[in-house]
Amino acid sequence: MFNWLYAPLQAILNGLLTGALYALIGMGMALIFGVMRIVNFAHGAFLMMGMYATYVLFQATGVSPYYQFPFAGVLLFFVGYATYMGLLRRIRGQVDFMVILLTMGLALILADGAQLVFGADYHQINIPLLSKNISIGSEMSINAPWLVSFAIAMVLACALYWVVTRTMFGRAARAIAQNPYAAPLMGINVHRVQAIAFGIGSAAAGIAGALLLPVFYLFPEVGNQFKLKSFVMVVLGGMGSIQGAAIAGLVLGVVESLTSLYWGNEWALAVDFVLFILVLSLKPSGIFGSQRA
Amino acid sequence: MRKWQVRIAACFLIAALFVPLLVPTDYTLQILFRVFLFAALGLAWNLVGGYAGQLSLGHAAYFGVGAYGLALFSQLGISPWASVLLGVVLAIICAAMIGRVSFRLRGPYFALCTIAFAEVLRLVAKNLPSVTGGDVGVQVPLLFTQSTIRSFYWSGVLLTALAFALSAWIERSRFGYYLMAIREDQDTALSVGVNAARCKLWALLISAAITALGGALYASMFLFIVPDQVLAMDISTEIAIVAMLGGAGTLLGPLLGSVVLESAAEIFKNVFKEAHLLIYGVLIVLVVLFMPEGIVGTFEKKLGLYKKAPSAPFAAPLPSTTEEESQRIAVDE
Amino acid sequence: MSLLEVKRVSKRFGGLKAINDVSFSVKPGEVTFIVGPNGAGKTTLFNLITSVFHADSGTIHFDGRDISQLTPNGAAEIGIGRTFQLVKPLRNLTVLENVMLGAFLRTSSPAKAEKEAAKVLRFLQMEKVLHLPARGMGLPTLKRLEIARALATQPKVILLDEVVAGLTTSEAMRLAMLLKRLPEWGISTIGGIEHVMQVVMRVADRVIVLDHGNLIAEGVPQDVVHRPEVIEAYLGSKYKEIAS
Repeated sequence: MFNWLYAPLQAILNGLLTGALYALIGMGMALIFGVMRIVNFAHGAFLMMGMYATYVLFQATGVSPYYQFPFAGVLLFFVGYATYMGLLRRIRGQVDFMVILLTMGLALILADGAQLVFGADYHQINIPLLSKNISIGSEMSINAPWLVSFAIAMVLACALYWVVTRTMFGRAARAIAQNPYAAPLMGINVHRVQAIAFGIGSAAAGIAGALLLPVFYLFPEVGNQFKLKSFVMVVLGGMGSIQGAAIAGLVLGVVESLTSLYWGNEWALAVDFVLFILVLSLKPSGIFGSQRA
Repeated sequence: MRKWQVRIAACFLIAALFVPLLVPTDYTLQILFRVFLFAALGLAWNLVGGYAGQLSLGHAAYFGVGAYGLALFSQLGISPWASVLLGVVLAIICAAMIGRVSFRLRGPYFALCTIAFAEVLRLVAKNLPSVTGGDVGVQVPLLFTQSTIRSFYWSGVLLTALAFALSAWIERSRFGYYLMAIREDQDTALSVGVNAARCKLWALLISAAITALGGALYASMFLFIVPDQVLAMDISTEIAIVAMLGGAGTLLGPLLGSVVLESAAEIFKNVFKEAHLLIYGVLIVLVVLFMPEGIVGTFEKKLGLYKKAPSAPFAAPLPSTTEEESQRIAVDE
Repeated sequence: MSLLEVKRVSKRFGGLKAINDVSFSVKPGEVTFIVGPNGAGKTTLFNLITSVFHADSGTIHFDGRDISQLTPNGAAEIGIGRTFQLVKPLRNLTVLENVMLGAFLRTSSPAKAEKEAAKVLRFLQMEKVLHLPARGMGLPTLKRLEIARALATQPKVILLDEVVAGLTTSEAMRLAMLLKRLPEWGISTIGGIEHVMQVVMRVADRVIVLDHGNLIAEGVPQDVVHRPEVIEAYLGSKYKEIAS
């Protein structure tokens, strides 16, 4: 009866659930960008890796992604760490564009590699949870997997925030973010901290991939759209601010959901970019100011 | 230094004109067309990305506008070549709008913004099937009705010659100096009266015009275009890499880069088939790690030549230590 | 008739008031120095005059025109030249090409720009390094390069920010003697120097003292240097008695 009310409400609800996952991806990117000013074009590919890793593990053991996602996290942590130490560290002196190109090349290698190994077909998995819906009142419902991934994403987001604000590592990372020239003078092993930050950021992407597996199609190029979305989140949230990126993720989820409702799915990504351009033109320091992670 | 680059290019381009008389297959000519097309596109990108140091990853926008301009305007009954012209004009208008927003941004924000604009265009083209044909695509008129493949090839060579001549002229003019100064240190350039915003915009307008011409030619050769083909980020990346591989900020760079890259890509496709993108990615990584100045750039560096051609166009900027500089996180005032 | 007139200009950055109600004027042909301890606001003042940013209140007039809302390149065009505290040479170009950049403001012909640049470089006694790349040069040469580039824009006034910082005393004095000749070319000079007071004493016609964004003294060098406020600003209140 009150469809004009419940439809958008449902859309907002769905948007928040999706947004939590976006937030996780965006926070990873924000951490990397905040500490190192690196625009990681391989972020989406890392998500894709996490997704495939989870898929393989699921096919082999039958363990639900919602239990085994830490493996994706650990795997991508090491991949990220190695990427920084092996590749990015060598070009630290150079301008941003080089980093963009390098990570783009890496993304190509990973995506094409995935295609070689797994083929270009779409994969998906089926877990019993997928069919469970939780009703809210009589008009709205939540698809259970999304609720689970929401919960996990929120917990991880808080954990990440805690790591960045309360641990030595976090303090060192923030020091580097604020003044990369003074930080080593304070005894901070800059490269190691940055490698760890890169690892953590990549792990976030990998875990997001794991959480995405039950509800999304898996294919080599799946990372692309999430990569682009994470750029949008980082800009919206303010330069390198993890909290900002998290909120931006939720905002993005809701905006996309409402856009899909009123204009159709195909415009959702376009709205992301329009938002991105608007923020860059009007308030480049981000909607949430220029806080630092 | 510059003179011999011009001479080499001139000889090369003149020789190129005779190639169709020697080469039997249409297939080879098509590949060669692509080589020259991307040489022209790379040279056009070089104006903005190489000389001015504004590394755009959204040039597909202008390429696509040129392509779609030809397709859509001719649907309205306008003659093909007039449609090409209109497409170029449209691309210039787009460049003006994109430039106004993007050039205020620095560093990675600029690159991301250019990507965003190109993606918006791609998505608009995809989602308005009544106008653009959407994912199904749209037909493109044939620009040359006689000796078709040869004509496309020659037009590719001519476009390259045009782009090269423009670059050579700009490089030794005050405009070129200003662009390079902006690349090296925009604040210094401002302090000596360079209107950085206007210079960057002009470079982009010229670049967009040539890119749009290339897009129209490309579209006409394929006779049919879809958004994911002509407005894709892949095109933007390929253009940028062609210039970078050869040497951004040099005259011969984009030309050489296209020859090397497009030939390599063709070989990869035939030899590696499935894994050609992977090899492509490896190539990019290797270039960034070991030859960031590109082929010509590295060559110039080794010869100890420093002149107008940059030996390290992408050297890191000096750390900002003043209060006001560190406040300008992402934006120019 | 003053060339540059700064009236009641204030600028704050967040909580910090960098320039507080500062007024002064510079007459054509004068060499004026702005001195003051670190953080006094000298560079901020320069940035305001060259429109790198705009004042929160007050006005700046140059040659009779209100320049409060200009752009940095606009400031250069109307005749305000400037060097930077941290030298910023265009490293991949030669010394000559660096200076040509300045000359291009007044001519669009590369040939003419080259001639003009060479002329300026000769004035600064840099003929020997004309065709060498800027990246290999030492600080004294780079400092002169900064000045040459600004001079090539044919300014009416030139703002030299910490122009002798980092030079030995003898290098500084040599440079100062050159600068003293700038008014012959019709250029008024303003320079911001912090501690090389010998240079200030020799070269300046007038001195303005800034401290924490406030103008605390103004006048002839010999006079200003002995004022208690000035000594207090540099050395602290314990030394105020030295003045008397």
